[in-house]
Amino acid sequence: MIYHRPKTIEEALSLIGRSAWPVSPLAGGTDLLPRWSAGVQDRPASIVDLKHIEDLKGVSRANGDIRIGACTSMSEIEADPLIRAAAPILAEAVGRVACPQIRNRASIGGNLCNASPAADSAIPLLLLDAEVEVATHTDSGATIRTVPIEEFFKGPGATVVAPGEIVTHLRFKPVPQGAFSAWDKFGTRPAMEIAVASVGVAVELGGGVISRARVGYGSVAPVPLRGKAAEAELLGMALSPEVINRCENAAREEIKPITDVRASQAYRRDVVAAMLRRILQRAASS
Amino acid sequence: MFEAASVATPKRRTKKDTLIGRRIPKLDAPEKATGLARYIEDLNFPRMLYGKILFADRPHARIVSIDTSAARAMRGVRAVITAADINLVPFGYGQDNTALKADKVTCIRDEVAAVAADTPEIAAEAVKRIRVTYEDLPVVASPEEAVADGAPIIHEKIADNTPFRYDYSHGDIEAGVGDSHIIVEDTYTLQRQAHCCLGTSGIIASFDADGRLTLHSLTQVPFLYKNDLARIVGVAPEKIRIIQPPIGGGFGSKLDIHPFEPICIFLAMKTSRPVKLVFTREEEFLATPTRQNAVIYMRSGARKDGTFTFRDVRMTLDNGGRTSWGATTPWIMMRSFSSLYRVPHVRQHADIIYTNNIYACAFRGYGNPQATFALESQIDQLADELGMDPLDVRLINAQKPGETTGQGMVLRTCGLKECLETSAANAGWETKRREAEASRNQQTETPNRAATVRERTKEQAGIACSHCRSMVRGVGMASFFHVGGGAKIYRSDGCGTILKLDDFGAVTVLTGSSEIGQGSETVLAQIVAEGLGLPMKNIRVINNDTELTPWDVGVHASRTTFIAGNSVLRAAREARRKLLAAAAARLKREPDQLDLSEGKVVDGATGEALESIGKIIRGLHFGSKNELIMTTDFYEPPSTAPDEDQMGDISACYAFGTHVAEVEVDLDTGVVKVIKVCATHDVGRVINRLGLEGQIEGGIVQGLGYCLSEEVKVSEGRVLNPSFTDYKLMTTWDVPEMELSFVETNDPAGPYGAKGVGESPLIPVAAAVANAVYNAAGVRIRELPLTPEKVLAHLKAASRPAE
Amino acid sequence: MPQVLDRIQIGMVVNGESVTIMAPSTATLLDVLRNGLELTGTKYGCGEGECGACSVLLDGRVVNSCLVLAVECEGSKVLTIEGLESNGQLHPIQKAFVDYGAVQCGFCTPGMIMAAYALLESNPAPTEDEVKRGLEGNLCRCTGYQKIIEAILSLAVRGADDV
Ligand SMILES: Cc1cc2nc3c(=O)[nH]c(=O)nc-3n(C[C@H](O)[C@H](O)[C@H](O)COP(=O)(O)OP(=O)(O)OC[C@H]3O[C@@H](n4cnc5c(N)ncnc54)[C@H](O)[C@@H]3O)c2cc1C
Ligand code: FES
Ligand code: FES
Repeated sequence: MIYHRPKTIEEALSLIGRSAWPVSPLAGGTDLLPRWSAGVQDRPASIVDLKHIEDLKGVSRANGDIRIGACTSMSEIEADPLIRAAAPILAEAVGRVACPQIRNRASIGGNLCNASPAADSAIPLLLLDAEVEVATHTDSGATIRTVPIEEFFKGPGATVVAPGEIVTHLRFKPVPQGAFSAWDKFGTRPAMEIAVASVGVAVELGGGVISRARVGYGSVAPVPLRGKAAEAELLGMALSPEVINRCENAAREEIKPITDVRASQAYRRDVVAAMLRRILQRAASS
Repeated sequence: MFEAASVATPKRRTKKDTLIGRRIPKLDAPEKATGLARYIEDLNFPRMLYGKILFADRPHARIVSIDTSAARAMRGVRAVITAADINLVPFGYGQDNTALKADKVTCIRDEVAAVAADTPEIAAEAVKRIRVTYEDLPVVASPEEAVADGAPIIHEKIADNTPFRYDYSHGDIEAGVGDSHIIVEDTYTLQRQAHCCLGTSGIIASFDADGRLTLHSLTQVPFLYKNDLARIVGVAPEKIRIIQPPIGGGFGSKLDIHPFEPICIFLAMKTSRPVKLVFTREEEFLATPTRQNAVIYMRSGARKDGTFTFRDVRMTLDNGGRTSWGATTPWIMMRSFSSLYRVPHVRQHADIIYTNNIYACAFRGYGNPQATFALESQIDQLADELGMDPLDVRLINAQKPGETTGQGMVLRTCGLKECLETSAANAGWETKRREAEASRNQQTETPNRAATVRERTKEQAGIACSHCRSMVRGVGMASFFHVGGGAKIYRSDGCGTILKLDDFGAVTVLTGSSEIGQGSETVLAQIVAEGLGLPMKNIRVINNDTELTPWDVGVHASRTTFIAGNSVLRAAREARRKLLAAAAARLKREPDQLDLSEGKVVDGATGEALESIGKIIRGLHFGSKNELIMTTDFYEPPSTAPDEDQMGDISACYAFGTHVAEVEVDLDTGVVKVIKVCATHDVGRVINRLGLEGQIEGGIVQGLGYCLSEEVKVSEGRVLNPSFTDYKLMTTWDVPEMELSFVETNDPAGPYGAKGVGESPLIPVAAAVANAVYNAAGVRIRELPLTPEKVLAHLKAASRPAE
Repeated sequence: MPQVLDRIQIGMVVNGESVTIMAPSTATLLDVLRNGLELTGTKYGCGEGECGACSVLLDGRVVNSCLVLAVECEGSKVLTIEGLESNGQLHPIQKAFVDYGAVQCGFCTPGMIMAAYALLESNPAPTEDEVKRGLEGNLCRCTGYQKIIEAILSLAVRGADDV
């Protein structure tokens, strides 16, 4: 393996373009290294380590948006005051990834590019209508295209990022004052747990009814899933027990879980329903 | 014999200056906390090679051919061996295993070939290049399949796939049935649990120019191991030396000879170079044995007043494709059935059945966790039928001191009653149970329990707080019975000691017993320090080299504190006698007027210091007598091997205890959270409180893993979850509040009255938790582990209206 | 075929000392510490980030050294268990582990101590839950964690207001 350590996005893109193939961008390595050592994925010929590109790190404000560099670690995001104020569920979700050792290395960009349906940062980003900035190598350096998070995932392990491209940033609008948002993940033990299922809800109220609703589910479909049917049940309604029931049923219908060594399909439906109900009940009382 | 082992604590000595019962940090802890301790994986020798094994990776197949040429051709490969290259001596409890397999594989972990190479990477690559042609045979995936008509025969010699059967009985079951007012029967299903020692298995083998073999090995039974290995690898036992480096966890996993060990020796033989073979975590999951999965059918009865009448047990244990010592666990299981409580009529039948699954071996508790889960679950079911408090039912039937159990075990001391009462009191048993029952009764107004709680609380609290109301709490208890003074399984259950004092009062104790992280080294040092009136820092224990240490049967059956403790105590007492005699001569006093304390000879009456121990020894050494103080001892416990009917007093004493668990069950998701465990153990006497607490806490949490989440999942002979990602160990968040109490029954046979406790704390945990889940949520789950998914399925089944 | 020949020179500061080593590009930090530098206090327990036995501090943050490539550490500071002891004196965390009975087989201990070190560096007065969170990635099969948690809590600096 040949190891490269670019300092700028342009340099990274150009290195990816010119190095011996296959080339792999490397961020925290917490997805890549276990796969290499377990032999489920061959080591690439070249690695381009993105961690030393200043521009890819940290949280900032940009034109009223919150902007996170792709190489920002879960620990940094969790502790970041801007994130805690503007998107508390993102802070919570990344704070529940694995353990300190992993959170210190794992990047949010890696979490998205790895495209596991269980990626913990994905659901909060779906609720936030986040956008992903993807950089492509051009003669002049780099061009950036912006992809809505909902369109980002293409299947387990697959995204819209083409070979040669990298994700540079994520951006989203801060959650407005008074909005409710919550996220929870279910595992069979409290820590070190890849989600059996996860659920996030964001609702804004106007005139006593819900004016904006976002629901998202993790680990219950080939990609982190937006809960459009559940959202439809909420929109324009007050959070009554009947609405919560209907929303729960819609969720059971629209998720497409599988049975694997961690849980059965039916059980995933049950825990999604239970988590969703609890979150909505909390929303109703807040 | 008992007198010989008990010690007369000098009358004058006050509580505070005895070391017994104190909190003594482990002697090897600084070495480990600094990272200086060298485990097997940390040891390297000049010119050392790395061994790697090719496993069959198919459950049942005939080996047609093996082509090792590509592997042999690799640069850096020093040896490639298959069954054709070695002595094929059968070994293992069923004599059905060989180091490498010659013509047939019977489980995925069967060892087929092995490589020694210059680096681990080359060895791994070479193994991949070995081509084996197999002819697959039908897979026997379960004991049911194995005993079905026309099932494939797994080992030629055993046509019915049932290599071992165990029968035990006392009394007359039919009479017991006739005597019963109430009878309960049920079937309990137990899973495979992996030891998950944090340090993976490994060995280093090297031969010297004389053909002497030195093994750095993790075995917990070095002396038996040496003899067995000698036969397997064809080296005379006196030419084998076993050195045991610190070990990253044992829990029973190192009781057998595992094929990787002779394989490594064969590689060293072939290459005439030291060879190291250490498993990866995945290999550890796939190629080391587990706790045996079992199906236990149990039927038992009681009279109206709660006295037990009979217990009838039939068990099937999945032996897997080969037999290890794990096949003998029914031998311990029957003892809980027969002797934890008084039962006049008991019968047990166990079948050990070959399948093409991975195989099982000894694991902390040795079958007893499985047995106790069935037994203590069923006692709660009986109590339920009787309309009695489970505590009362247990108290009525609990064994008492002085009794001889139905199986002939003599309970010279027995603190079971105190254990039951103490744990119950600590847990607030009555109140908590009543509260749980009251809320359950409210729920049972409609059959839909889970839903009702939700609805009811929704009305009460508005929907706001209902999420916390779908949590219900309850308490449950379980006790255990286990050997506490060794177990006479082998011809000798003894342990030897050599003890010597240097000129300055420093003691070296050579003991045959091994330290596997359980803290025995510290306890033994403490016993010697106490016996000789020397500070702990003066005592050095050597326990890991068969060339130096005298014989011991091994670390198992919770025996080390008891057996090795007695042996070092007797050696220390003999040294003490010699010291006092020398001191008396020098100080012109009678030996019984003197005592030893804090490195000094003191006046027995006043405690006044008279002379340093070092001076006395030097006087003896360099004075006219020219003597050294060195003593030896071999302690054989006063137990008897069981007779053909399994009757007999197999241990010098027996340990008892009770755990009460308090749980919270989430009715929506099935999650069981253990909030508190109150554990009371009859330990005879507390020697090292710190070490003892550590053993018990560790055992409880291991037991919680067994109960809640741990399971090696096997399908069609293949392991589905060979990693920590999907084999769920408890983490820091899972630790409940633990309230520990000790009942000190001062067993006359124990060193300072102590009994062995190593295995006990794991044994009753699962049953206590399952009983608590029943108390909380009204569902009786007879199958471990209690995963959220399984618990929720039971909750749903219970809430479906009865037909 | 393992690329034994493709070795890269890596410079880093380990336990305060500058070191330069040659390692294969595929080597992890764990490999280099254990095999290259003979710092065997850092343990291999799983090689996939699940057990924490290989925990070290990398530029001040606790990481699983099995999930870091050695080449990534060029120019970095690494602190291992061997770097805690000074002048033959146990570090207070090491001492607490010894005194509180937090060590049994000891295999998890170096990793536990490094995780505890990182926790106490960033939060000198952790609550019990914060301790549990700080160690959630470190498995121990022997102790049941209780004594480990107690050892670390004994070091928590308690201000007057949080008594
Ligand atoms: C023990 C353990 C526990 C875990 N627990 C969780 C958990 O609870 N929740 C969870 O969500 N995840 C979990 N993970 C998975 C993993 O930690 C996360 O997915 C992490 O965020 C990945 O980020 P990374 O920076 O380490 O990615 P890397 O491993 O560096 O990269 C992952 C993939 O993304 C690509 N990539 C990385 N950055 C970019 C970029 N900027 N542009 C383009 N491609 C890029 C890489 O080429 C690679 O294909 C766990 C992993 C382990 C080992
Ligand atoms: S060895 Fe690195 S986490 Fe287990
Ligand atoms: S002390 Fe053995 S794993 Fe923790």
